[in-house]
Amino acid sequence: MTARMIEVRGLNKWYDQFHVLKDIDLTVRDGEKYVICGPSGSGKSTLIRCINQLEHHQEGDIVVDGIAVEKKGRNQRAIRSRVGMVFQSFNLFPHMTVLDNCTLTPLLGLGMPKAEAEEIAMTHLTRVGIAEQALKFPLQLSGGQQQRVAIARALTMRPKIMLFDEPTSALDPEMIKEVLNVMVELAEGGMTMICVTHEMGFARQVADRVVFMDGGEIVESAPPDAFFDSPTYDRSAAFLSHIL
Amino acid sequence: MAPKVFVPSPDRPPPVDTSGPLVWIRRNLFRDVPNTLMTLLGAYIAVTFVTAVVDWALIDAVWQAESRRECLDLVGRSGACWPGVFVWFENLIYGLYPKDQVWRINTGFLLLVVWMVPLWMPRVVSKVAIGLSAVMLYPFLASYFFLGGEKGLVWTALIAAGLWGLIWVWATALTETLTGKSVGTWLIGRLGRSGADEATQMRIRRGAALALFVVSVLLVAPAEFVEVRTQFWGGLFLTLVISGIGITFSLPAGILLALGRRSKMPVVATLCTVFIELFRSVPLITILFMFNTMLPLFLPAGTEVNQLVRAIVAVCLFAAAYMAEIIRGGLQAIPSGQYEAATSLGLGYWQTTTQVVLPQALKIMIPAIVGNFIGLFKDTTLVSIIGLFDLMNMARAVGEDSNWLGLFIEPFFVVTLIYFVFCFAMSCYSMNLERKLSAGRERS
Repeated sequence: MTARMIEVRGLNKWYDQFHVLKDIDLTVRDGEKYVICGPSGSGKSTLIRCINQLEHHQEGDIVVDGIAVEKKGRNQRAIRSRVGMVFQSFNLFPHMTVLDNCTLTPLLGLGMPKAEAEEIAMTHLTRVGIAEQALKFPLQLSGGQQQRVAIARALTMRPKIMLFDEPTSALDPEMIKEVLNVMVELAEGGMTMICVTHEMGFARQVADRVVFMDGGEIVESAPPDAFFDSPTYDRSAAFLSHIL
Repeated sequence: MAPKVFVPSPDRPPPVDTSGPLVWIRRNLFRDVPNTLMTLLGAYIAVTFVTAVVDWALIDAVWQAESRRECLDLVGRSGACWPGVFVWFENLIYGLYPKDQVWRINTGFLLLVVWMVPLWMPRVVSKVAIGLSAVMLYPFLASYFFLGGEKGLVWTALIAAGLWGLIWVWATALTETLTGKSVGTWLIGRLGRSGADEATQMRIRRGAALALFVVSVLLVAPAEFVEVRTQFWGGLFLTLVISGIGITFSLPAGILLALGRRSKMPVVATLCTVFIELFRSVPLITILFMFNTMLPLFLPAGTEVNQLVRAIVAVCLFAAAYMAEIIRGGLQAIPSGQYEAATSLGLGYWQTTTQVVLPQALKIMIPAIVGNFIGLFKDTTLVSIIGLFDLMNMARAVGEDSNWLGLFIEPFFVVTLIYFVFCFAMSCYSMNLERKLSAGRERS
């Protein structure tokens, strides 16, 4: 049995009175790929943002790679350095070149010398097929290219887990494909991944499990074949019929 | 049916010119009757005004006279009486600074220029360090040039640090321009120790820095200038000292206050908010008065704080409060995604702030920041209210001289020009900076 990478137990979160996450339990083992889907407002993004503590929860436990998230947030940096995150809106730093975006963490977070940091950055940029754009600024690239840079940037800190928060929702269909290709390749390399996405083709291809959320709860969690062919829950069946 | 024949339609008339100065004039100045009338009226007003000023300032002006009376006898009030300004010109610039010591002021400001020149040299990479050294070390050197007097051990060390900085800046500029290496690396290369391990190289760097400091101390120690107390400071010199210190202080202090106000720590946030709101809600004149008259009452008896220092402290605090709100505006314009991306990359608060947030926020706010600098430069005229003879007050003093009694317009005219030159230069620099920072970085 491989190690548990992420363990979420009894997670509850409220925005004031609004109960966003209700008793979430989720266990992701080393190398597993989870796809989370569900209607908007169902708490998918909030859930993965809780994992690297961009959002704080009120109840329950989260353990990432053996480190328990503390409510006071003292070990936040230790957890964040294990968890790479890719955002819907890329969030590249517009005042730095693509290369500088990617050397930031190796230089500052990991304290590497400049030459080594640039080498690592270039390795990852090559991996996502964007090495020749390294000296451009992010806003000079297309959306798909920017998202690939964002993936490369997250990889430079050598994360054990990658979280994707609707990485393709802001992209044109053609660009979606180039980003998904990178994600598939990453998955095949054995990375532990949690993806919030509605790309069901991607889910079928790489996911070990598909999680369906509705109203802040996990209502269904099943391997992709079972999930797509015979959803057990009405709401997920209805949802699938809309997007497939 | 007759065969169809192609009949070309007749040529259209050539299009009216759409470019060129004549077209521009016709279109913008003489389009129709009201437009033409407005143009003529505007031109009339402009010409009248310009000729009036030129007549007064140049054509009817008196260039040589012994007193204002003599000017009035020659041309009455229709022409400017420049001799009064000539006589007072040195005071307008240097105040009552002893004439034989004025070279110290000139050298002091020249040193600043020399210090900053490497910032515009294209191959120099350590620009941030050079800029910081200008802010942190130059003031010691300059203040001794301006103030002079006996210097104790601490003073000597600080002035030596200033000289050390200047030498370091130029050594860096030269090695980086000529060899592309930093001074330290270049020196290690010259000593043939490039192969040595890091600890040895570090020792060489430290040793060289220390040796240079010792040399600086030896150079500084014997030099001594006559003391010129701040009571004798005045004119443009004083204006530049007050506003220069205010500007260099207000930016870092404003950044810290703005960050503090947005801090999650309640004590820090409250203190910063109270400070900012307090100083922003009170006119600068009031603050100057407070510091000038009331501060000595709160201080233990016998402690004497120089009047100039009091004014500078007041200006600095006031400017910092305003700058803080400008910076805060810039910080708020940075989307939360930038913070989230930085934190998710494992960067800490200060790394996120200095690498990701501030560079973007400051760039957005350049026009407002420079606007504030310009405002501050002009606001320093208020120190005349507590009896300091800055450029403005010095100009007023001309008309109180018994020889030039009532001569106010001419010195004010000159002072206006001086203010304009400085403020316009700052404005141009800001525009230039904006262009340079946005070149090639953004699509739009």
